Amino acid sequence: MQDNQLRLLMFLQDLLMLKKEMEDFQVVEKYEEMGFDLEKKEKIEEAIREVTGQLDAELHHRFQMIANKYDRPLAPVKNGICYGCFVSAPTGSELITQRKDVIEFCNHCGRILYQPGTL
Amino acid sequence: MELKELFNSSNVKLALGSEEKDDVLLELISLLKLDEKAKEMLFKMLKKRENLGSTGIGKGFAIPHCRSLVVDKLNVAFGRHTKGVDFNSIDGKPANYFFLIVAPPVEISNYYLPVLGKVAQFCKSTDITAKLDKLEKVEDFLALLEEAGN
Ligand SMILES: [Zn+2]
Repeated sequence: MQDNQLRLLMFLQDLLMLKKEMEDFQVVEKYEEMGFDLEKKEKIEEAIREVTGQLDAELHHRFQMIANKYDRPLAPVKNGICYGCFVSAPTGSELITQRKDVIEFCNHCGRILYQPGTL
Repeated sequence: MELKELFNSSNVKLALGSEEKDDVLLELISLLKLDEKAKEMLFKMLKKRENLGSTGIGKGFAIPHCRSLVVDKLNVAFGRHTKGVDFNSIDGKPANYFFLIVAPPVEISNYYLPVLGKVAQFCKSTDITAKLDKLEKVEDFLALLEEAGN
């Protein structure tokens, strides 16, 4: 099944977060102390490539631009507030991908917005 | 945060019915109060995490875990499988006791790693598998968590 582009972006952000954890020596050490075997932790790169390969090229470019600025390029919108910058009525520009997915960006901080609960 | 505060009758299942690793993951996810799309996304993320190294830590325990945007608070579940399921565990033995732990990217309280640590500790406590095998109802499990916390 083909996921929509916003869900792919969410998945990508989750994977990038996991990658960051796997690159943090202290966090990995904690996991190992708990008894987890992270022998194949470099496999995260493969997962990231797999998801990136399904993303609209322009959208991926925009994602990376935002990722250069912020740790987490996606932010949830709750009660009309962007939880990236905490400014209300955040929807600004939007990008319609080749697959006709509509991606919305925060007018204030530029983060990609998603509505928790309506995935 | 005590472990017993995180579990209740809706996120504990003492008789998991699945026979395969993926199905156990899905059965555990089904115990969380999430919509279908979120469950599906969570499953994919947990699978990617499993690919880095099984969360089957041996002695019958598995602790699948991840952080994900699809949850907005720490979510946990516990499941027991009497016969055991192949989970590619470190010791090569089937897993019977499963703790699922899922956290949002950031939490103000940052419970994720400490809770994971407490669960891992709980799994190492004395005679724990014998005690888990004897559980008859969810309340017994909650009592066991309380006992372990003291
Ligand atoms: Zn914003």
